[in-house]
Amino acid sequence: MLPLIVRLKVKEPGRRGFGLWFPVIIVWALLAALMLVLLPFVLLAALVTLGRGPGPRLFLVYPLLGSVLWHLGGLTIDVDQKDSVFLIDFI
Amino acid sequence: MNEERRKILDMLAQGKITVDEAEKLLAAVGETGTGAAPETDASGRRSWKYLRIQVEPGSDSESGDRVNIRVPFKLIRAGLKFAAFIPREAHAKVNQAFKDKGLDIDLARITPQDLEEIVSNLDDMTIEVDGKDKVRIFCE
Repeated sequence: MLPLIVRLKVKEPGRRGFGLWFPVIIVWALLAALMLVLLPFVLLAALVTLGRGPGPRLFLVYPLLGSVLWHLGGLTIDVDQKDSVFLIDFI
Repeated sequence: MNEERRKILDMLAQGKITVDEAEKLLAAVGETGTGAAPETDASGRRSWKYLRIQVEPGSDSESGDRVNIRVPFKLIRAGLKFAAFIPREAHAKVNQAFKDKGLDIDLARITPQDLEEIVSNLDDMTIEVDGKDKVRIFCE
């Protein structure tokens, strides 16, 4: 499922860390708008290069990207070292 | 995965319990029949949701590093489809890199079906390495 929130925690050695709950749905909305704007250009590029370039693959960009973003939910990367911490959790 | 199993794995990830204790607890949860078995698909095959990678410091570990990674299988499958975007010109370089590592693999001959088969068989895999750090790779 499409993650709506990203939990981020970063701490570097000798620095004060920070934790963040970010409503990543804002990013998805902006990305969707950007993709909508770019869609005619992508389709044009796909049609122009259909026979001899990356044309057929360009048709797949949108569904594949959507598929990857949609399934990001549940991805967790948590690295806890002596003095540093990195956590990203797509919820 | 039910809540009990998740709690046990979280406790393990946080270092509150050892791997042995976690195994005993998971076995106990499994014996009570509270959903330890994963869901199965139409073919009767187990369908795990996540690939987990855990690194915990062993008793003689100097670094004390902990790593806990959980990757949804659906994300792996979706990501693998991007292999189609690797340009043909890059295949030779990738093949050479494989060869340098001792793997005789021709990228052009790997089909999406092959990749799907690899991913679908990952659920049978459990790797445990006990060294300075304890590494576990498993599915849940």
